[in-house]
Amino acid sequence: MSEMIQFSAAAKRYPGGQEALRSVTAGIESGEMVAVTGHSGAGKSTLLKLAAGIERATSGSVVVSGQNLSALGETALAVLRRRIGFVFQDHKLLFDRNAFENVALPLRIAGLSRDETGRRVRAALDKVGLLAREKAMPIALSGGEQQRLCIARAIVNRPAILVADEPTGNLDAASGAGVLDLFKAFHQVGVTVLLSSHDEGGLDRLGCRRIGLVKGALVPPSP
Amino acid sequence: MSPRLHAQALAEALRRMASQPVATAIFIVVLGLALAIPLVAAVLLRSVSAAAAHLDTDPHVNVYLVPDAGDEDAKRVEQALRASSEASAVRFVPKAQALAELKATTHLAEVLASLDRNPLPHAFTVRVRSAEPARLAQIKAEWSQLPKVDQVVADFEWGQRLARWVQFGERVVYAIGTLLGLAILFVVGQLIRLQVVTQRAEIELSQLIGATASDVRRRFLYHGVLQGFLAGTAAVSIAAAVGAWLNTEVQALTPQYASDFKVLSISLGTALALAGCAAALGFLGAWLAVDRELRVFAGGR
Repeated sequence: MSEMIQFSAAAKRYPGGQEALRSVTAGIESGEMVAVTGHSGAGKSTLLKLAAGIERATSGSVVVSGQNLSALGETALAVLRRRIGFVFQDHKLLFDRNAFENVALPLRIAGLSRDETGRRVRAALDKVGLLAREKAMPIALSGGEQQRLCIARAIVNRPAILVADEPTGNLDAASGAGVLDLFKAFHQVGVTVLLSSHDEGGLDRLGCRRIGLVKGALVPPSP
Repeated sequence: MSPRLHAQALAEALRRMASQPVATAIFIVVLGLALAIPLVAAVLLRSVSAAAAHLDTDPHVNVYLVPDAGDEDAKRVEQALRASSEASAVRFVPKAQALAELKATTHLAEVLASLDRNPLPHAFTVRVRSAEPARLAQIKAEWSQLPKVDQVVADFEWGQRLARWVQFGERVVYAIGTLLGLAILFVVGQLIRLQVVTQRAEIELSQLIGATASDVRRRFLYHGVLQGFLAGTAAVSIAAAVGAWLNTEVQALTPQYASDFKVLSISLGTALALAGCAAALGFLGAWLAVDRELRVFAGGR
């Protein structure tokens, strides 16, 4: 298998001097599912944002699908982000739009036709079990449903890479398990999945490779 | 660039305008009224300018003889005028010709026909070499002393003054038009800026999931263009309506003054050009506003 995401001595320092990531070198192969673990502030979210092209590395490089993100201009980077589904920790749902319209947003950006948008949005909602709630406003959905709606928005563009930042962070055990099962299902159909989670039990059940972070640095894998 | 993206942006801009019909209508009418002010002034000035174009503004004086001056008197005056170094051309207007012209160009024909004798004097129109006021005053004083001369009148001066006032008025109109054009730029820009701010969450999310700056900007630009175009169209409509209304009054007045003055109408080409300019200003205002806010968003991340 070829590497879908490659971090080479990738570091990130935010304005103000906070060093979120220190010289991380790691690779994620195409079709692989990898979990990033670590305490709060370990740099998990920053690593995921670098992989998704939401943030740029301060030094080192991040290569996604053969493209060095540091070398891409703003427009090219934005276009690349369309091929990566991102599940945000805080969902980032639009509360003045219903479920259908929230999921349709990436397709509107891509300029798909109304018919194609309708088909793809309903397929995505069906995959996450929300087809019957397509007209519901986000405020009317439970926490688990909101997270699944966020996942539907992330997969509606049929991305090759799915990145999820603490997708089970605010969910009860049953809802969290359901969400992780969704990621497992996407992985099984060939999608490269990179997620962060505190849910050790859930990750054990997924049985995926883990990357550990402590204070922005990689933890060497246990022998 | 997909035409569908433009169609979607246009549809989105129209949807947003239609979702607040009263606010949109008030905004367009207010901007239209503001733009109509210099437009109406420009139309009136052009009308005056067109009417003034018929006026004789070359430097000349009219020399009127006393009513009882005969042909021999006229010949002596003509000789004196032609001998003057200040006169470049002399045209004699006999009293009979003057009466005939007056009858032909005014509605006084019946009144004039009822008179038992021609009340008009012989006259001369003399082209003079200098329009300098002091020199003209000297010429008038000199020629007034000629035998049988009643009056020497330099009435081209008011035509020149009118032309200068029209020129001045045009500059004032351009200045007001420019200022109100800038007002469109800032007002549309401010409206779009408020929209961008209220849609900040959607814009930031869109950028996170793959929208380029152009994608974000596009629908706001269409909105700005639509607002500007509609405001420009409203301004042209208002100006055309005011012009037509004034024209009905002018048409009733001008025959009494033997004038063909009328308020000019706005041609379709001019109307489209004006609406296009307003649309361009709306585009520019929207661009500046969105660009500024996107920089603010980027700085806040």
